[in-house]
Amino acid sequence: MGLLSIIRKIKKKEKEMRILMVGLDNSGKTTIVLKINGEDTSVISPTLGFNIKTITYQKYTLNIWDVGGQRTIRSYWRNYFEQTDGLVWVVDSSDLRRLDDCKMELDNLLKEERLSGASLLIFANKQDIKGALTPAEIAKVLNLDAMDRTRHWEIVGCSAYTGEGLLEGFDWMVQDIASRIYMLD
Amino acid sequence: MEDEENSTHQDQDQALQKKHQLMLERLSARHQTRLETRKPDSPESSATSAFLSRFNDSKKSIDAQLESASDPSRLVDISFTISDLEKLVAENSYLLPSYEIRSSLKTISDLKQSLDNLSSQLIPKKKFSFKNKPTKTQTQTQIPKSDDTVSLPEKTTTNYLFRDSPGLRNKQNQVLVQNFKGSDIGEFTVSDLDSCEVKLVGCVNSLFVNRLKNCKIYAGPVVGSILMEEVEDCVFVLASHQIRIHFAKRSDFYLRVRSRPIIEDSDGLRFAPYCLKYEGIGKDLAAAGLDEETGNWANVDDFKWLRAVQSPNWSVLPEEERVGAVDLLLRAVQSPNWSVLLEEEERLRAVDLADSG
Repeated sequence: MGLLSIIRKIKKKEKEMRILMVGLDNSGKTTIVLKINGEDTSVISPTLGFNIKTITYQKYTLNIWDVGGQRTIRSYWRNYFEQTDGLVWVVDSSDLRRLDDCKMELDNLLKEERLSGASLLIFANKQDIKGALTPAEIAKVLNLDAMDRTRHWEIVGCSAYTGEGLLEGFDWMVQDIASRIYMLD
Repeated sequence: MEDEENSTHQDQDQALQKKHQLMLERLSARHQTRLETRKPDSPESSATSAFLSRFNDSKKSIDAQLESASDPSRLVDISFTISDLEKLVAENSYLLPSYEIRSSLKTISDLKQSLDNLSSQLIPKKKFSFKNKPTKTQTQTQIPKSDDTVSLPEKTTTNYLFRDSPGLRNKQNQVLVQNFKGSDIGEFTVSDLDSCEVKLVGCVNSLFVNRLKNCKIYAGPVVGSILMEEVEDCVFVLASHQIRIHFAKRSDFYLRVRSRPIIEDSDGLRFAPYCLKYEGIGKDLAAAGLDEETGNWANVDDFKWLRAVQSPNWSVLPEEERVGAVDLLLRAVQSPNWSVLLEEEERLRAVDLADSG
């Protein structure tokens, strides 16, 4: 019992969550991360490689891995799957032409066993742009209702530009992960 | 040890000894019951090994049920048992080593797979079955089926969802003008053009450019990003927050960008600073935060050339070959192409109305 209580104490103290942000290029992943961290979003270059941000959110520490979405580097996404607690899939809701691409990449990702336990948050980003699809329409295109019933998922409309919806999405994800991992609290 | 101690105390205090004995019995009894009635939802009592033994017992019983099940109605019970098992793993996940978690999850997904296989054997496929072939192997019959069902409705749903997004499409040998001033267009598409000249005046939130050949594209500031694919032998004069260029060949870019432009799967691209003029462009650029030259037009990242040396796929356009300032004299609209332009504008307006309606 001694060891167990030590382990439990450590886990409780850390309250760390590992979040993986992925999505097609130009969907707004980096902008979302910087915006939620209160940083300047006016000069962001397309991500060559990845960024890691550690932010304190409520009483938890989030390690956010923001991985570039260009076609060439999508094959490296797999290097970041291990021990992911939360998966954030970002969609450019105004990019109607590439919705099929978007669906295909998401489907591939969800087949990944190492991500099977992760909570899935889908951000229907760029809601500020006129002509963008609504979260409900995105959910329909991505056929989210057909997802494996054991997966915890949620779709949230947002705008990384205005910041709208970001907290709502992260609140859901953090709560969902917490209820799975830190059941003792 | 304890027995010896007890015996030394025996004479002195019979009652105490008896009490002690009772206590020991009580403790061992409690320990026994705890072992037997260990509940899955009390993580305090379960160490990894205890979890594993529970897990394995449960798995064995499910396996047995799967083997013996011949009645479809039993499948639901089995499915519930599997969910319970999954819940058990989830509840214990915080104290299990990650290897155990992974292998448990793998076991569960295997169980689900066998349940699926079993249910497709037991329950006749009414909706989708192919009558000509009895089920040889499960996967073989399912592959064509799922292909059919996935691809067909897929297309209809996306078609249904696709509003006619504002844009200029499918033209040849034309001069096309779009003025965003006073419009509430958010995203705009320029696609499938051959030998056209396109003039976009005013600000827009995002611009998509696809499949152009031998075109000249002049655009006012894009507040958000430009995404470009499959262009050949074109000239672009663009200003934006971000620009991504994919599958481009032999094209010149006159850019002003707040961030580093990127190219991917492209070659023969040349870059120079933005050089567009039209009446009121200064205001538009300021509104988009693009009134200052950033010098980023020359900081191109090539995702297909991740090395320190200069990418062979792009270069700086030599000054003597640059076009100088491009002035979009909108009066030039009154050219022989006027009627075409009117048509285009009418169509766009109609799209707009449909959108806002």
